[in-house]
Amino acid sequence: MKLIGQLIHPVKYFYCFSIILVILVTSEKGKAQSLKDTLQLPEFELTSKYVLENNGFKKVKIDSSIIISHLNSDLSTLLSQYTTIFIKSYGNGTLATPSFRGTTAQHTQVEWNGIDLNSPMLGQADLSLIPVSQFDGLEILFGSAGISRTSGAFGGVINLVTNPDWNNRLNILASQSIGSFDTYTTNINIITGTSSFQSHSKFNYASALNNYPYYNDFLMETVNQHNASYKQFGFSEEVFWKLKDRHLFSAKLRYNYDDRNLPPTTTKYEANNVEKNVQSSLMAVVEYKYVKKDFNLSVRSAFANQKMHYTLDSTYDDHHQYYSWINKIKFTYIGIKKLAIKPGIDFTHDEVNSEEYEGIKTRNTTSVFTEINYTPWEKLKTSLVLREDLIDGKFLPLVPAVGVDLTPFQKLNLGLNLNLSRNYKYPTLNDLFWNLYGNPDLRPETNYSIEIGSVFNFLSKSKKFYIELNLTGYYSWIYDMITWSPVDGNSNLWKPENIDEILARGIESGINIKWEIVKFKFKFDNNYSFCKSTYEKASSEYDNKIGKQLIYIPVNTLNSTLTLERWKFYLIYNFSFTGERFTGKDNLTVMPGYSLSNIIFGKNLSLNNFILSLQLQVNNLFNLDYQSVASRPMPGINYAFTIKLSFDKPNRE
Amino acid sequence: MVVINLFLVNNIRYKIYSLPFLISLIALSLFSVSCSKDPIREKAVAPENPDTTQNPTSYDEGIFVINEGNYNWGNASITFIDNRTNATVQDLYQIANQHNLGDVAESMKICNGFGFIVVNNSNRIEVVNLKNFKSVKSITGLQSPRFLELIDSTKAYVTNLQKDISILNLQSNTITGTIPIYGWTESLIRYDKYMLVTSIGKYSEPSSKRKAQILVIDTQTDKIVDSIQTGKEPIGLVIDKKQKVWVLCSGGFDNFEAPSLMRINPELRMVEKVFTFPTITEVPSRLCINNTGDTLYFLKGGVYQTPVTMTGLPTNPLISADGRLFYGLAIHPKTGCIYVSDSKDYVQNGTVYQYSPTAKFIKQYTAGRIPGGFCFTSKNAK
Repeated sequence: MKLIGQLIHPVKYFYCFSIILVILVTSEKGKAQSLKDTLQLPEFELTSKYVLENNGFKKVKIDSSIIISHLNSDLSTLLSQYTTIFIKSYGNGTLATPSFRGTTAQHTQVEWNGIDLNSPMLGQADLSLIPVSQFDGLEILFGSAGISRTSGAFGGVINLVTNPDWNNRLNILASQSIGSFDTYTTNINIITGTSSFQSHSKFNYASALNNYPYYNDFLMETVNQHNASYKQFGFSEEVFWKLKDRHLFSAKLRYNYDDRNLPPTTTKYEANNVEKNVQSSLMAVVEYKYVKKDFNLSVRSAFANQKMHYTLDSTYDDHHQYYSWINKIKFTYIGIKKLAIKPGIDFTHDEVNSEEYEGIKTRNTTSVFTEINYTPWEKLKTSLVLREDLIDGKFLPLVPAVGVDLTPFQKLNLGLNLNLSRNYKYPTLNDLFWNLYGNPDLRPETNYSIEIGSVFNFLSKSKKFYIELNLTGYYSWIYDMITWSPVDGNSNLWKPENIDEILARGIESGINIKWEIVKFKFKFDNNYSFCKSTYEKASSEYDNKIGKQLIYIPVNTLNSTLTLERWKFYLIYNFSFTGERFTGKDNLTVMPGYSLSNIIFGKNLSLNNFILSLQLQVNNLFNLDYQSVASRPMPGINYAFTIKLSFDKPNRE
Repeated sequence: MVVINLFLVNNIRYKIYSLPFLISLIALSLFSVSCSKDPIREKAVAPENPDTTQNPTSYDEGIFVINEGNYNWGNASITFIDNRTNATVQDLYQIANQHNLGDVAESMKICNGFGFIVVNNSNRIEVVNLKNFKSVKSITGLQSPRFLELIDSTKAYVTNLQKDISILNLQSNTITGTIPIYGWTESLIRYDKYMLVTSIGKYSEPSSKRKAQILVIDTQTDKIVDSIQTGKEPIGLVIDKKQKVWVLCSGGFDNFEAPSLMRINPELRMVEKVFTFPTITEVPSRLCINNTGDTLYFLKGGVYQTPVTMTGLPTNPLISADGRLFYGLAIHPKTGCIYVSDSKDYVQNGTVYQYSPTAKFIKQYTAGRIPGGFCFTSKNAK
């Protein structure tokens, strides 16, 4: 009965907002890339011409032109400036975790070419450790859309992709960036191959002293941040081999080494502690795809290893290490008219060796799933996703999702979508096994969600003007949410418990415009998100959190990006607003909202096959003195200059 | 502006197309301009009914509640409860000094008309003038300070989490020396010319490796003269009317052994009695004694009370928690009233409850984040 209540409610809620804003969106449809760049690679999906897309679920892609102009950044910068995903950042170049649709970082799955990057220990990924240069496409699956990839990603999935361009023969890119606070970033990419073989080799090295000045309220003086330096080294090698347009083999290797000091809070500045985390991660993936007229098969196997070494002066010296072995098999059959059936099986073995666990802890996850796409009528597309997880011999309840896409009009590009789902999230290994504090009796978290969306786009006859409007409303309940809380009768002890009930509902909307006039190219992308995510259950009568917003989840987020291009000059102006974030569950303390502006200005000079790019980037243009997380200072205005030389030799035929 | 000029192209089609652009641009620039340049810092949301908080004219007669704040969030604060009007003032330090108190305020002591607030994770003792609560000195050079105890009006000892006991000169408000210790020292109490200090062991080590003891320090020579073995993690220390010292041992953060309450004869430096708690996982804390020195109080979920003449530990709480997370406890030196704080789930502002000595509920007060310590003004002291 409770479920019916949830279903009636959202419609009412959604209705109010749909009057105000026009229509929804998803989609990448009109997001053709305007900034031609050497690294820009067309989407490669050997299967895409045969199979239907997953219907009724929201997926967004980030322009590769944005990615290419941020080669010197990490993933957290990209997401916080160009999407409405809230990034909880503990300072420049320090821990940054994503949260969207009113959920936590543990409800966001970060993937690299479909392989999980979230640590099985923490259940989350630190986005500051992922350099932008290691991927060339970024797709974001919102809410239930993630069920086709994994269970438990209530917020969604962020997938970093690399794809081969079979027309490429040789593409070399060398880029050096110099920024404020002694920040240096070097990237070298060598991409070469034939029409059936491609190799991508990428190196990146970044280092920063990161000693930015800020006003310390506690000391009442301007100080330079200290113990904040980092060194980051990354390497990836990917090979793709295509045989007779039938077989695709690929092998990928990715290694990252990160040595960073963890800066103090404003109120601990004087302690001069040396807190440090050294982390190295290795991932190897082999993949095989077989494509036939009415079916295809994909088999993947990945190995991941991550080592962490945390030290605090001589007080703490902790080692953690995990291994994951991830296997994915997916079969797609489209032999029946109007129908696509995509069953699959995933098997993951995680093994953690941590000084904070008692002995080595393992987890085996088997996930059996199927996607069925059915198109009963040209204007109506439907999909059903079913997933069943077996974790350490225990079955989780069935995870189902249903989606519908409707394009009612012939002449008007208006699409409507709807989806419903139930999802489960298994506790992380830290939740279960952390010495003294872990709770092996935790139950999985449960999520029920509904989403309604619409998208409208219009392309002028001259193809010079394009507008896209989108509006999505979602309504999502999380039961048994795991929260670390103090234990009754023992004030020293914290334990994770299934205590919270969360209601997250909100609106996401976007207006994207592209216009070409007198050889000027404009692009204007705007995203807005309204998200109320509230506690719905009190742990006692003294608890003041019912109906209050979750801490560190802004209700309003907005970002706008204006891109201008002419005479091989380009200008990207980015504006982002992050609304107020409460710092207490009783919502009595708050971090005020803030707006940041960033500008990128660049020029591409080309000579034969060479392109020389010069780019100047100004971050925090208005020098706002802000903190995203309390007591964690952020830098004021800062600059980065990038020089990039690329050589591109595509297939001339 | 190049951008704007471009929209003035004499073509109706372009004009239509440019509309959404212009609207968005205007909205964008409005947003950019309207945003204030005030630093973005954590602040309290204005109370819905501000009448309930009023500024007392003085901090003569009342209770300072020390709100620890969350570790690394920098949100420690002081709440004042005026005993005459029952009014409360929140965020006293921040209001008087226009900057925050720091990270994890542990305790406060009063001496010579000044308040000494021990701020653990900021590694400081803030000295405030009790007339206006303005900071007169920030004492640095500590090692994660915990508690402060006066020897006389010129000298005090400060226990630290990391190493050493700090010797504080109360005239110059500087650290004048240290007494080297291996690890964490917690509670201290004066007995005769000695200071008894609970020593827990190295902070980062498990209980099995830690040596728990009470150190006896001669306050004239600042030398450790003796030590007394106790149960693991001795955290509470009080002295009763018969000059017997009571020690509360939590048994270790890692549940190493059952918690215990011990009675020590400070003259003979001997353990006279040991009361062991029945369950290893129910950990007592905040040992207090009333003004007359005949009744002990502590927290273990609820508030427990026992006369110093007891033959066994109390089995039922005097005040049960009933879903509250009791975190701080103090007995009013003048009235004998029980003040106990509820720190909720640590991520909300806490509440202080006042009960009569016979556990009758009197009043409740709003406090800050994680209220843990209490400090009674001198007019309230014995």
